[in-house]
Amino acid sequence: MTTNSSAKQTRTESEATKSTESTVICESVSREYSRGKRGFRRGETPTVTALDNISLEIVRGEFVGIAGPSGSGKSTLLHLLAALDTPTTGQVRIGGIDTQELSTRQRARLRAKQVGIVFQRFYLLPSLSAQANVAVPLIDHGVDKSTRHDHAENLLNQLGLDDRLNHRPGTLSGGEQQRVAIARALITDPDVVIADEPTGELDTKTGAHVLDIFETAATDRAVILASHDQAALDRADRVITLRDGHRQDND
Amino acid sequence: MTDDDNTHTDADINVSGKSRTRRILTLSTFAVARILNRLRTPGARRITLTLAGVMIAIALMTTVSGVALGLATQSAVQGDNVDYWVVPETGNLNTIAVSTEQTRLGDTHELTSRLTRNDRVQYATPVLSQVIPVQAKPSTTREYILLVGVIPPAESNPTIASLPTAELTPGDPYFESNHSTDSWTGELVASQAATSVLNASAGETIMTSGEQTFTITDVADGELRTGVGTAPVALVHLSELQAITGAADSDAASQILVSSNDQRVRSTIEGIYPQTDVVTRTGFASQTVSTSSLPVAMGIAAFVISLIIGVLFTATTMGLEITHDRQFIAILSAVGYTERSIGFVVALQVVTVCLVGGVAGTVLGIGGIYATNALLAQALSLPAAGIIDLRLIPYGIMTALLIGVLSLPYPVWLARRTTITETLRL
Repeated sequence: MTTNSSAKQTRTESEATKSTESTVICESVSREYSRGKRGFRRGETPTVTALDNISLEIVRGEFVGIAGPSGSGKSTLLHLLAALDTPTTGQVRIGGIDTQELSTRQRARLRAKQVGIVFQRFYLLPSLSAQANVAVPLIDHGVDKSTRHDHAENLLNQLGLDDRLNHRPGTLSGGEQQRVAIARALITDPDVVIADEPTGELDTKTGAHVLDIFETAATDRAVILASHDQAALDRADRVITLRDGHRQDND
Repeated sequence: MTDDDNTHTDADINVSGKSRTRRILTLSTFAVARILNRLRTPGARRITLTLAGVMIAIALMTTVSGVALGLATQSAVQGDNVDYWVVPETGNLNTIAVSTEQTRLGDTHELTSRLTRNDRVQYATPVLSQVIPVQAKPSTTREYILLVGVIPPAESNPTIASLPTAELTPGDPYFESNHSTDSWTGELVASQAATSVLNASAGETIMTSGEQTFTITDVADGELRTGVGTAPVALVHLSELQAITGAADSDAASQILVSSNDQRVRSTIEGIYPQTDVVTRTGFASQTVSTSSLPVAMGIAAFVISLIIGVLFTATTMGLEITHDRQFIAILSAVGYTERSIGFVVALQVVTVCLVGGVAGTVLGIGGIYATNALLAQALSLPAAGIIDLRLIPYGIMTALLIGVLSLPYPVWLARRTTITETLRL
């Protein structure tokens, strides 16, 4: 991994050459959820609109922040951008593929190839070593164990965890666990990395280090980071602000 | 991904058949390694419970099956060269040790003569088996041995109750002379186990409680194995055993052995006695000789009960485990595992737990057979109980596998219901 300043510079150069290539596109996306029980007559199910008419375009090499208060629709948007969910109306295209056109299985395959997800609470598998955790996504790709572990080791080395390969999550600090989670998200070399509050459970210094990693990762892929942390949002190339399911920024 | 991969199509999203085998292999290794790893961790209560449940179900099934097998096989007094045997319909061949109460066939000498006259029959002999207290002449201690009364054929020397008939005078002189004392042969072919129990050897005399005497004409290597070891057994002439046991009046025997290479003889045999069964030696296993449905019923009941309890228990406990472990499933889904892959991982974990339980249960069940035999021998002095057949090992393991497979739908269904968005906070 390169350092913070050089990462930004490399990313700027990368944007100059690849900015026309859209990695994620949302077109007039809305997402409604049914609430409560269905009424006596069909079609009476009450709904709540989590996202309303959202459009955005994120290109390879962009580091995009998503801001907004709780309940503004950040998580719903992340679900859609990560192909974990599909919109009620509108289109979400990842790498040119409309997620609504895909079956559940195809969306899983799309995630496996093109999307890396980093969670606030890391969600590592406690019974596996750091190296094995990072290698988990490659198992379903049919990659043999030695290759998987070589890839995982390389990534963990780049993230400064070369002395923590065989440690289980329970013996790692929060920052180390988050770096393992980031390595897991990057191991399939996805086009999009989606992170939800990745610094939410970290101290300032560790959080800054994790953000450095995201900046570097954004050199050749799109990184979308949702956060309440202004320091994290300040690192982004641009910030999409949501409120009550609507975009509030001027983009 | 390389730049070439940037133009994605639906075909890119699907996995090629070539890589499918690799995926299955890597997923299998992952699933098995994880569940075995979890078994070693102290917090895996539900998995341990599942394993224990399967283990107990298989152990009970193995023990009961071993006993059923033992009950079915311990009556195999017939030699391998016998093709058919006639037994009473209500008779129970498996209870040699307590055979005094079983239904018997009457007029067996006359019947055997009729059978022997049939050209298709090589030889036929009634068999009467009875546990009798006897003592070697110099000794004052009585020991129980299994006496088997037969009519040794003249033309051949079959083995009956694992003992050769060659050293017995052909025919049944005592019966033929209308029970004349002069024609009492007193010949006895003893197994080594019998001579060992009686502390006697060839040429020595043994005496029954009714003062009838027999001379050991031969000591044979043949062994009549029971659940707890080798039974002390000896061959004598049928009428002489009938005289000892009071079965002479009705000329009774427990069964009639018929040797023939011609299958058409069966219909002849079937017609000779009402309310009897003709059992055919299949060459597969000696337990097929039993016409009693008890051992079969025991075996089937043990199998069905173990299967039902095992399936219900495994489905419930592994269902609880999957519910508890839904974060693991959601993580796999988030990193791109398909529902099918996750289902495969869950299925393999369930089957692995059942297999481990099956292996442990089979070992425990075999121990159970030993324990049952030892208990019966000590408490009731019964020589026969369960037998340890090597086929019980694959039987136990395959049943455990079946339990795993049949209990799969519920945990897999639960795994499919797990959603990332509800399980992982994003």
